[in-house]
Amino acid sequence: MKYFGKKLFTLIMTLFLVSVAAFLAFQIIPGDVVTSILGTEATPEREEQLREELGLNKPPVVRYFSWVGDVLKGDLGVSYRYSKNMNEMMPVKELVGDKLPVTLWLAAVSLVFIIVVSIPLGVLWARSASRATDKLGHFLDAALGVITQTTMAIPSFFLGILVTYLFGILFKFFTPGGYISYKEDFWGFLGYLLFPALSIALPKIAMTARFLRNSMLTELKSDYVRTAYSKGCTRRRVLYGHVLRNAMMPVVTFLGMIVAEIVAGSIVIEQVFGLPGIGRLLISSISTRDFPVVEILILYITFVVIFVYFLVDILYRIIDPRISEK
Amino acid sequence: MIRIENLSVAFDGTEVVKNVSLELKEGEILGVVGESGSGKSVTALTLMGLVSETARLTSGRILFEDVVLREAGKPLDKELYRKYRGDYMSMVFQEPMTSLNPTQRVGRQVEEVLKLHTGLQKEEIKARVLETFEAVGLRNAEKVYGSYPHELSGGMRQRVMIAMAIILHPDLVVADEPTTALDVTIQNQIVELLRDINTKEQNAMLFITHDLNLARRICNRVVVMKDGCVVEQGDTEEIFQHPKQEYTRRLIEAVPSRMKKRVSVMERPAAGGGAESNGMSGTGSEQNSGSANRTVLEVRDLSVFYRDGGNSLFSAKKKHCVVEGADFEIYRGESLGLVGESGCGKTSLSKAILGMNKDITGEVVHHTTRPQMIFQDPYSSLNPTKTIGWLLQEPMRAACALDKSLSMTKADMEAAAYDMLHRVGMEDKYFDRKPSQLSGGQRQRVSIGQALIMHPGFLVADEPVSALDVTIQAQIMELMQKLQQEMKLSYLFISHDINVVYHMCDRIMVMKDGKIIETGETEEIFRNPKMDYTKLLLCNS
Repeated sequence: MKYFGKKLFTLIMTLFLVSVAAFLAFQIIPGDVVTSILGTEATPEREEQLREELGLNKPPVVRYFSWVGDVLKGDLGVSYRYSKNMNEMMPVKELVGDKLPVTLWLAAVSLVFIIVVSIPLGVLWARSASRATDKLGHFLDAALGVITQTTMAIPSFFLGILVTYLFGILFKFFTPGGYISYKEDFWGFLGYLLFPALSIALPKIAMTARFLRNSMLTELKSDYVRTAYSKGCTRRRVLYGHVLRNAMMPVVTFLGMIVAEIVAGSIVIEQVFGLPGIGRLLISSISTRDFPVVEILILYITFVVIFVYFLVDILYRIIDPRISEK
Repeated sequence: MIRIENLSVAFDGTEVVKNVSLELKEGEILGVVGESGSGKSVTALTLMGLVSETARLTSGRILFEDVVLREAGKPLDKELYRKYRGDYMSMVFQEPMTSLNPTQRVGRQVEEVLKLHTGLQKEEIKARVLETFEAVGLRNAEKVYGSYPHELSGGMRQRVMIAMAIILHPDLVVADEPTTALDVTIQNQIVELLRDINTKEQNAMLFITHDLNLARRICNRVVVMKDGCVVEQGDTEEIFQHPKQEYTRRLIEAVPSRMKKRVSVMERPAAGGGAESNGMSGTGSEQNSGSANRTVLEVRDLSVFYRDGGNSLFSAKKKHCVVEGADFEIYRGESLGLVGESGCGKTSLSKAILGMNKDITGEVVHHTTRPQMIFQDPYSSLNPTKTIGWLLQEPMRAACALDKSLSMTKADMEAAAYDMLHRVGMEDKYFDRKPSQLSGGQRQRVSIGQALIMHPGFLVADEPVSALDVTIQAQIMELMQKLQQEMKLSYLFISHDINVVYHMCDRIMVMKDGKIIETGETEEIFRNPKMDYTKLLLCNS
């Protein structure tokens, strides 16, 4: 219980600091939402009027806290930039609402890819690398080394272009630029996410598999492995029954660390595949100084990342019984 | 029953075991003794088929009853070995902490042996495990069954290992230094347990150890190994009393034992037994100038604490007292021994004395400048990327950086480093070598040199010989005594090995659970211990 309290406290503190940082960044970077809406030709009176409407003439501290107060009440504010129709401002909630799930699902599918592919791959790799006398093992070890190295070196947006060309245009597995909303057909939607997710996941799969391989090779040198053999365990039993769980501990931490990267990566990949996620919204909102939208997006991303860290922490405790003691 | 014939094992073309022949009979404990690198562990691991795959058998064979387990020129028969391991032969390892899988409950780990070799039902298996746990002296077997290794003490873990080894009543148990990582009192219990099992089960036991006293206590026959060869083998008492080979004799002599005459170099006050102050005749004037001048260290009512719960934001950190009310002094030229089991606060006390632990109450007064420390592990305590010469000069550089008036030229430092190299008994050629090119004993000489280069009057030596082989141990102890005489040093000598302390020290302090429970002259403590705990320590080693 104390543990959860501590985690909750960290979450709130982080969200607070991140929102302050984003707010401050908007004060410091040059550019003005009013100019960006009205253009440079507007009269000073018109500018002043708009400022009044948006509440921008109040001091920054007041603006920040009134914003925080609204958010806590569930009112996420309205966009400075977008409007619903001529008379109504666009609420941030609606603007972000149907875009955020796309990004989160993309990240989730990527993560599933990473876990499902990299763990068996890492185990296979460690198995071949640990056979000192086996020719095939040596070959596999070297081959996987080269393949993963190459995959890691390619930036994911370029990988996205390659995947589009290969699977979209050559093999016609999917229609480049096509998209089905998750509201219409959820499975069709997931289908469209597969290839973008693959582009995000490939370099991470290579990294995770390599990490697991090294971790398993280290564990294979441990004393308890010798004990297991001395009991009469087969090699398979030693690997899966004893080594894998111990070797997973650093890998779980590593996976937690790359989650943030996946979320960031999905923003880029959305652009390449033309998915209506928050990527484009975030970029355009930053360039037009649409503060309420940016703040909410950043807070969402922060929340997701911290939540995943928390899951990783719990997973770690399940794997390693020594942690919960302390 | 088990025969090893002319066994030779090579790693990358270098033979580490050469022509070793052994025979083990039922109900017998055969000791294999030797220093590190003598090939005793490799022999045992080869017998068990556990030696790494890069090792090659260049000659000989291993017979288990009449079955050939392994033969030179033939590949390792993994299937055959798998059937034998756990069922007919099993092994107990040195490190009970790392030899158990940290993420599996120990009950399951022991059960695995039964699952692999028998077709028993789940309930039967569990009953068998609990029964065996009780047989190896684990009280509350049910609770142990569901524990993870880190929840058990070192002695309990080793009992679990033993339970795992004997659960199927194998004909052969190989014990590779089974007590080395344990405290003396626990050591004794484990040795007794192994002997009881051997008597009860009438199995054969191969007992590998570097500790000759231990081998003498438990083994029926002993094999002495050196550089991969068997030097001598025979009945234990025969070997110990009438060693035929020069090496065996040297090995036995190097073992610190209470049977041998102690050499003390302490400078005694005129009133006390001054007969032993050999080589210190020129210091008469100091002896007369009263006891105040002779004290190098005073510790008054010293308590050392450590705080728990490092990163909690709200709760106050819990304060634990690891050393309580220590009160003693060390005199000039004296070696004060500090003995006690692991976790009793020896190291915390020594750190507090050196000012490395600030969380203390009480008083520590130094009457010498720059007390120094010698560490236990000469492998990890020297920076592996630097040369010996650089390492020896480092304390001087540090001192110059602190105190600008202490200007030393590069040549001065180098000369001092060379001088120290000679003092610790090493040749000039080692000056430009790296620690990795040195043996353990040589490295420990370098760390002693490092500690002495600024001419401290007082040294804290934390288990300085524990990581070394017996013959090297004897050399280092001799060196420390020689330097003590030459440089009029005082030592606080920390050790868990009471025999080493007997040899090195003039007075002994016994520590238990953070308290100093007994202090006295070495002879007095050994002849006439007052506390029960001291008696226990003495009779267990």
